[in-house]
Amino acid sequence: MNEVISGCIGLAAVLVLFLTGIELAFSMLLVGFLGFAYLTSFEAAMHLVAKDLFEVFASYGYTVFPIFILMGQIAFNSGIAKRLYDSAYTFIGHIPGGLAMATVGGATAFKALCGSAAATAATFASVAIPEMDRYHYSKKISTGIVATVGTLGCMIPPSVFLIIFGIITEQSIGKLFLAGIIPGLFIAVTFLATIYVWGRKNPALAPAGERSTWRARFLSLPEVVVVLAIFVLMIVGLMRGFFTPTEAGSVGTAAVALLVLLRRQLKFRGYVKAVSDSMRTACMMLMLIGGSAVLGHFIAITNIPQIMADWVVALPLNRNIIMVIICLIYILGGSFIDDLAFMILATPIFFPAVLKLGFDPIWFCIMIGVTQMIGVVIPPVAINVFIVTNITKVPMSVIYSGVYPFLAGIILFGALLFLFPQLALFLPHYFMP
Amino acid sequence: MKAFLHTIHRITIYMNVIAGVALTFIILLTVCDVVLRALGSPISGVYEIVAMAGGIVIGFVTPFTSWVRGHIFMDFVIERLSRGAKSAFDIATRCVGIALFLMISWNVFKIGKNLHSVDEVTPTLELPLYPIAYGVAFCFFVLSVVLFCDILKITGGSFGGGHE
Repeated sequence: MNEVISGCIGLAAVLVLFLTGIELAFSMLLVGFLGFAYLTSFEAAMHLVAKDLFEVFASYGYTVFPIFILMGQIAFNSGIAKRLYDSAYTFIGHIPGGLAMATVGGATAFKALCGSAAATAATFASVAIPEMDRYHYSKKISTGIVATVGTLGCMIPPSVFLIIFGIITEQSIGKLFLAGIIPGLFIAVTFLATIYVWGRKNPALAPAGERSTWRARFLSLPEVVVVLAIFVLMIVGLMRGFFTPTEAGSVGTAAVALLVLLRRQLKFRGYVKAVSDSMRTACMMLMLIGGSAVLGHFIAITNIPQIMADWVVALPLNRNIIMVIICLIYILGGSFIDDLAFMILATPIFFPAVLKLGFDPIWFCIMIGVTQMIGVVIPPVAINVFIVTNITKVPMSVIYSGVYPFLAGIILFGALLFLFPQLALFLPHYFMP
Repeated sequence: MKAFLHTIHRITIYMNVIAGVALTFIILLTVCDVVLRALGSPISGVYEIVAMAGGIVIGFVTPFTSWVRGHIFMDFVIERLSRGAKSAFDIATRCVGIALFLMISWNVFKIGKNLHSVDEVTPTLELPLYPIAYGVAFCFFVLSVVLFCDILKITGGSFGGGHE
């Protein structure tokens, strides 16, 4: 059996094994190990698995994961999200659809501290939906926007997705963070526009809340200012090369922790919970990355990425059509596994082809980010919808019907990004040429 | 059996605490370094200390993450099977995991032994690297014990949950 066939069998085996209920990281480790042993030697494969895992675990670069996730967890456990939501509410809560718009505003600001789509959705399911229920919002709108707004977690820095992509493709995380800002804000604006149009067409679905005084509005601003200040400190520090990503995360986490401890908004028990949750999530991700490193070494000696790249370039198709097909593969694959896991699995295979086709790697990352945003809210594995349904007990069919109008905005942005790559590339090219 | 499961659970929790302390230490050390660097006197060797502490964070939290089934898995296919068939699948996947992580543990231990024998140290502070390798090897060993506990839980009917 030649290398390519054994590589293809290996990739199929990962998916088949995954269906048996084994953890995806374990199945990647196992297949990578067996494949490498088959093509080289058992001794070499044993050493490779141990070395790859040890290097992933004890690496300076990977410490960025638990740190950035911890920052989001502290923000989550200390009520910052609620105050950001309240602040947005004081400004726009009185217009039709205003509470849903406040959810978008609050979540966008909260995203500046929290890198996870799932955590953002979970936070606002608890914070915003009860408020929208109080004003008799349609469940379709309230749950739909909360499930969808979490997807901004893939795009607006400090996104865990962008960090993982940066590490596995060896791209600058600072550039990726900058590249995610305009797309994230643009998509947030499409969410606002969708709510506005929906509310205009049928005001009973999203009634107006109470109007706040200007005093209340100004009093709510310091929270937003502090969050933005921490965000700007991290991004500017990264951009100027003053911080490594690990340092940016540490400074941001320490600033958020200090802030909430001084205000007595987080008790020791809350901190312990935040640390424990963040380490668990980071461990899950690093095991996936370790598994992908081992599998990647096996796939590399099969030459599949190189052959794939040559084959894709030789296809008698326009390179943009090939890119659309690659994006569809990410959406489809992510719909059946987990979007982040599929990205880790597929990117080492597709990335060389993308480079050979002449696409910008930073632009490609943002494009795949858009597919991630779609993937986390479409069936069958729509993690954000699962979270919202778990918290609110609203049937998934209702949440899905609320998600689809917002999905249109994400797809529209994906199309615009195709036509105008500068939407993603302008900031990194301008600030980090 | 209950006492054994309880003991292993306690061990994973203690390891989790060690990992949490290491994570807090990483953040504090890094922030101190950033501040002191701005003042013109950085702490030397921070990168290597952070890398080593990172090994402790992720290594020591690995058994607990598996205890709570915190890794991504998918069981909608085997959920359709009968209870007996599902248990058989679960036991088989746990056995594969045990064999895999015992092998990994042994080989990471060998890496540690090799680092020890050649006196490999970090470039700046000249800290020995082998204790971290031994620590990570221990973590993978505990992980395989946790997977063995899963088998006990399956036979006792209390296995499930986690991140799907």
